[in-house]
Amino acid sequence: MDTFGLLAQGFLVALEPMNLLYALIGVTLGTAVGVLPGIGPALTVALLLPVTYKLDPAGSLIMFAGIYYGGMYGGSTTSILLNTPGESASIVTALEGNKMARKGRGGPALATAAIGSFVAGLIATFGLALIAPFIVKFALSFGPAEYFALMVLAFMTVSAAFGESSLRGLTALFLGLALGLIGIDLQTGQARLAFGIPDLLDGIEVTTLAVALFAIGETLTVAASRSSGDERIEPVKGSVWMSREDWSRSWKPWLRGTAIGFPIGAMPAGGAEIGTFLSYSVEKQLARKPEEFGHGAIEGVAGPEAANNASAAGTLVPLLTLGLPTTATAAIMLAGFQQFGLQPGPLLFANNSSLVWGLIASLLVANFMLLVLNLPLIGLWVRLLSIPRHWLYAGILVFATLGTIGANPSVFELGMLLAFGILGYLLRQFGYPIAPVVVGLILGPLAEQQLRRALAISQGDLTVLVHSPISIVLLTLAAAAVIVPLVMRARGRGKVLSQLAADED
Amino acid sequence: MTENNTSGTKRRPDRAAFVIAAVLAIIAGVIAWNTANMGGAGSYSRLGPTAFPYAIAAALFVLAVWTVFAALRHDFPEREPQQFGPVIWIVGGLAAQMLLLKFVGFSIATGLLFAATARGFGRGPLWMTIPIGIVLSFVVWFIFSKGLQLSLPAGPLERFILG
Amino acid sequence: MKHFVLASILGGLLALPAHAADYKIMAPAAPGGGWDQTARTMQTALQDEKISGSVQVNNVPGAGGTIGLAQFANQASGDPSQLIVGGYVMVGAILTNASPVTLDQVTPIARLTGEFEAIVVPAKSDIKDMAGLVAKLKADPGSVSWGGGSAGGTDHITAGLIAKAVGVDPTKVNYIAFSGGGEALAAILGGQVTVGISGYGEFESQIKAGELRIIGISSDEKVAGIDAPTFKEGGVDVSIQNWRMVAAAPGITDEQKAAISADVEKMVTSKSWKDALATKGWADTYLAGDEFKAQLAKDIESTSGILKDIGLVK
Repeated sequence: MDTFGLLAQGFLVALEPMNLLYALIGVTLGTAVGVLPGIGPALTVALLLPVTYKLDPAGSLIMFAGIYYGGMYGGSTTSILLNTPGESASIVTALEGNKMARKGRGGPALATAAIGSFVAGLIATFGLALIAPFIVKFALSFGPAEYFALMVLAFMTVSAAFGESSLRGLTALFLGLALGLIGIDLQTGQARLAFGIPDLLDGIEVTTLAVALFAIGETLTVAASRSSGDERIEPVKGSVWMSREDWSRSWKPWLRGTAIGFPIGAMPAGGAEIGTFLSYSVEKQLARKPEEFGHGAIEGVAGPEAANNASAAGTLVPLLTLGLPTTATAAIMLAGFQQFGLQPGPLLFANNSSLVWGLIASLLVANFMLLVLNLPLIGLWVRLLSIPRHWLYAGILVFATLGTIGANPSVFELGMLLAFGILGYLLRQFGYPIAPVVVGLILGPLAEQQLRRALAISQGDLTVLVHSPISIVLLTLAAAAVIVPLVMRARGRGKVLSQLAADED
Repeated sequence: MTENNTSGTKRRPDRAAFVIAAVLAIIAGVIAWNTANMGGAGSYSRLGPTAFPYAIAAALFVLAVWTVFAALRHDFPEREPQQFGPVIWIVGGLAAQMLLLKFVGFSIATGLLFAATARGFGRGPLWMTIPIGIVLSFVVWFIFSKGLQLSLPAGPLERFILG
Repeated sequence: MKHFVLASILGGLLALPAHAADYKIMAPAAPGGGWDQTARTMQTALQDEKISGSVQVNNVPGAGGTIGLAQFANQASGDPSQLIVGGYVMVGAILTNASPVTLDQVTPIARLTGEFEAIVVPAKSDIKDMAGLVAKLKADPGSVSWGGGSAGGTDHITAGLIAKAVGVDPTKVNYIAFSGGGEALAAILGGQVTVGISGYGEFESQIKAGELRIIGISSDEKVAGIDAPTFKEGGVDVSIQNWRMVAAAPGITDEQKAAISADVEKMVTSKSWKDALATKGWADTYLAGDEFKAQLAKDIESTSGILKDIGLVK
């Protein structure tokens, strides 16, 4: 059957009334939780994962799609209105969006974000439907050596987002790598750094670390910060709708943002943030009124928001075709898929084709519902944020611990949540970026296992690592990922990138 | 219930950086020590389970040294003065939830966390925020535990209301 | 406030007996895995057949079930309403993790289901049968890479037993551990490893699609519906079953044990249990009483032997 036939069949699954309902619930929950500051899509999916425990695989995946897109979009609202990025991928949105909101143009800013997200999600999901099957064909030629090269590339891309200080970026990354060592070594069954504690034998849960570093660390930081007065929410003044000029200034950035965001998200070593940074700088270069940048340029909201959502769909390409989680969100989704005995990867399309095409179709459905839900409800989301901060953060902690307790109600797990929460606070205090810690924990063990598998299969022959064209290409890209930013930085153009990355989390 | 907005005195960044360097070096040492004392089984593996730990320990040690140099060059960013009262309230709330969860159930333990966090942000009094937190947590418990069959620890309160 | 708390504690204590579940089953694994599914299938069957009015399942994941086992042995002692699901993987995990709590500290009731291990090669592999694999293994053990689940698990143990049975040093087995079934499967299909070893169910659809060739199955006798010789027929004297069981709490009386055994027996003969097994493709390998006890002791002994031979346990 051809792609469109499979997709049509997918729509049959996604448009079943129950599945439509799951999509609606997912979008609503995802947006509602994703809109909370400090809770990005990773946390949103992690917190709401339990909701899907009871559903059948199709319903669960469809709700995932809704939660994922909802959470991805939800972050932009807080960025624009509160100057508090809900997640790392909406930092750029805050730069121009909040300036617009302060001028009373919060309505158009939210609208261009919502419509841009829709356009990007639509195009990128079709991209997922059309390109993913081709990538599947390559997937089986990936052996441990190629995967290892891929991990190296992923590490290099992350390093580009270290921020102003390589020292602190590397330190954060190696803290994550060290945490990744804890537990039973898969290849030999030996316990490493478990100190005889049985609870550590399975290693550190990525979700526990992410929830603790982001939600609890952020809460502690905000609470301890003396300068933080009452954050005022900008009311949406004037017309909530976009003017003709807004439209004409927005549509090209939407398309360019999609074109940048999707491939970067689909690149196993990409990441939503990087797409938004690139989109922002591209729009700034191409803008008719570049002097408006920094003072509320709508292009600076439209482009990055489109890139953000396009990369959300892009991330699903390696996840579904290679089983490779390239973001914390994807890692949590991977765990969610495994919950139902589904192993995303080369064979998912073959073994569970109706489910996969159902997911792709439901991504399109979820994307549409997101628009329907958000445009009329912009006013309501604003009100959600007018919850006083003390209640807001108290509620965030209730939900953050709920996720951990729901997954594993053990004192030890909550203890780790607390310890990592304090770690997250301290890291923020001393200007260390948070994301590399989580990335290190995710990628470190993967890279190690692949390298050791490759060398075990080759019986110790190191040339296996550069044995195939794929490995060579990936390793070359990895080298370029390190060298190009260095050159850019040397020529003074990396300033925006490094400055943005510094504010990350 | 006194106001204890203990304010941290502004420390010199350099000294904190030296502490960070020391912590990194200690972590490196612990990893190396633990790896060296690992059982020597599983010999069939070409690249053994000790290679990565040693590499990471070495890297952390290098980073510790680098941190010392960065500190000497005043390369650490200025920090905002911190209030430690709120941090203690929130950490205390999390600790209380962790320790009490098994005995008093989800709603009461999480209600205490809620109230302590609100207190950390300056909102009280506790006699009002604790009941609010418990009611809210009970609603959450009810939705997730009864509605979605998630196993959240039940305590006397949950059993009382549903009994 | 104080009164409120007091009242709720009192109320809770009063309400407690009325809410005690007839059975409380611990699945010592995360939701979704084999043990969790076994526990939840039991829950459905026990309730549907009215053997028990109310059955609760709780998950205590971690370390091959040993964390759940330790918690169960401590907290459930003497309580006839509590059950734990476990399996062969637990036998290995207790040994490799040096778990202080062993299966001696619970009361095993019955083996419920089981799955046999299969060895497969890619369709275009030059290994045609068990004899071909043995010849290659004897010539150069390192050149045969085995793709399967985590080190020390059933797949690894089976590979070690085969090597030992044909006179190859088990520590020379070039075993490549993969974290998930799909990951191992992809490596086998892509020809990254020489042979694949895992539960038959992992490979079933690929074998039927002709992508993989099965060269042996670990049962004692040929299994209906599986067109493959047993290891023994292939000249390797190894048989192994990755089984799942149910156990009761330590310190219960013989009458209580008999009552639980009767309930479990009623459950495994029920229609809803048999239907569930058929849907999930689990083999009914029910074994209870002294026969199970003897089989368990034998499994523990042989597992401990092979784990020492492989070098995972000192």
